[in-house]
Amino acid sequence: MSPDTGLCEGCLRTLDEIAAWSAMSAEQKRAVLAQLPKRGARP
Amino acid sequence: LKLPRGIQVLERGWLSSNNVVLFAKGATVIDSGYGAHAQQTVALVEHALQGWPFERLVNTHCHSDHMGGNAALQRRFRCRTSIPAGEAPLIDRWDERELILSAADQRAERFSYDDTFGDGDVLAMGEYEWRVIAAPGHDTHAVMFYSQQAHVLISGDALWENGFGAVFAQLFGRDTALAETRLTLERIAALDCDIVIPGHGRPFGDVGAALERAFSRLKGYEEDITRLARHVVKVLFTFAMLEKRSMPLAEVPAYLERVAILAEINRGYLKMAPAAFSDWLIADLERVGALERRGSAVVARG
Repeated sequence: MSPDTGLCEGCLRTLDEIAAWSAMSAEQKRAVLAQLPKRGARP
Repeated sequence: LKLPRGIQVLERGWLSSNNVVLFAKGATVIDSGYGAHAQQTVALVEHALQGWPFERLVNTHCHSDHMGGNAALQRRFRCRTSIPAGEAPLIDRWDERELILSAADQRAERFSYDDTFGDGDVLAMGEYEWRVIAAPGHDTHAVMFYSQQAHVLISGDALWENGFGAVFAQLFGRDTALAETRLTLERIAALDCDIVIPGHGRPFGDVGAALERAFSRLKGYEEDITRLARHVVKVLFTFAMLEKRSMPLAEVPAYLERVAILAEINRGYLKMAPAAFSDWLIADLERVGALERRGSAVVARG
């Protein structure tokens, strides 16, 4: 996890998102995935 | 797919195995991920427990991606640690070749355990009782955990939604490993089971279809051992790339020579020249989307 952003350096998800992942619906997963490109663009 | 009460799966990727949290007065965690991810594993488990006491850490088998966070979890939580009895002598000796660590360019921090369990034992973990079922094949000493009450199987790498963990041992002198894999799949087929929680990938409900795919793969390896040899090389190289992320293309042939297991499989089964071995491997992994060439390097896509 990156100490600066709180995101996993590999998948760019938050700890909350990783922990909840297997309980999320397909739509919820897609909603998280849709945000990832934006997060990757951060400096 | 809804898991029974008191079971939470921390779904990881392919470098780290999933962590299964079984809640009760004292929680049990099954498998601890890869060493390079140990801090994330500790953070995820802390997050999942929300202050519940972490009583016991249990391993399905002792490969680096399942036991790599054991030492870190023990330091943080002082948890009792239990492993399959068959793995105990290997963990005592900590022979990095036997444990498929240095010989495969993998790493794990050494840890100690408190006790062991074996086929037929019943463990109370979380709200349910789990029967230990020996699951030789991918790892000779691996086990699974089955709850008749919850109709759940925690399969480790014995069965995934699409396949099962690579059967290394068949290529290294244990020529019964594929036959053992078949028996393990047959044991799963005999269980009354609604949900499988695998060591990698999401939990799944269609156990029959997963078994069918697994048997069909197994048949392919039984018919042609070089299929298994190619598969093991691809699995190990992809795993290494998930950790390294990037490697200069020019260094790949030497890497494949330097890592003992890869070199031995090539010598024994594939018999390719170093450059051809490297070209085949990268092209094949590119084709399935695991790697891509970027300039003069090969990079992981997973």
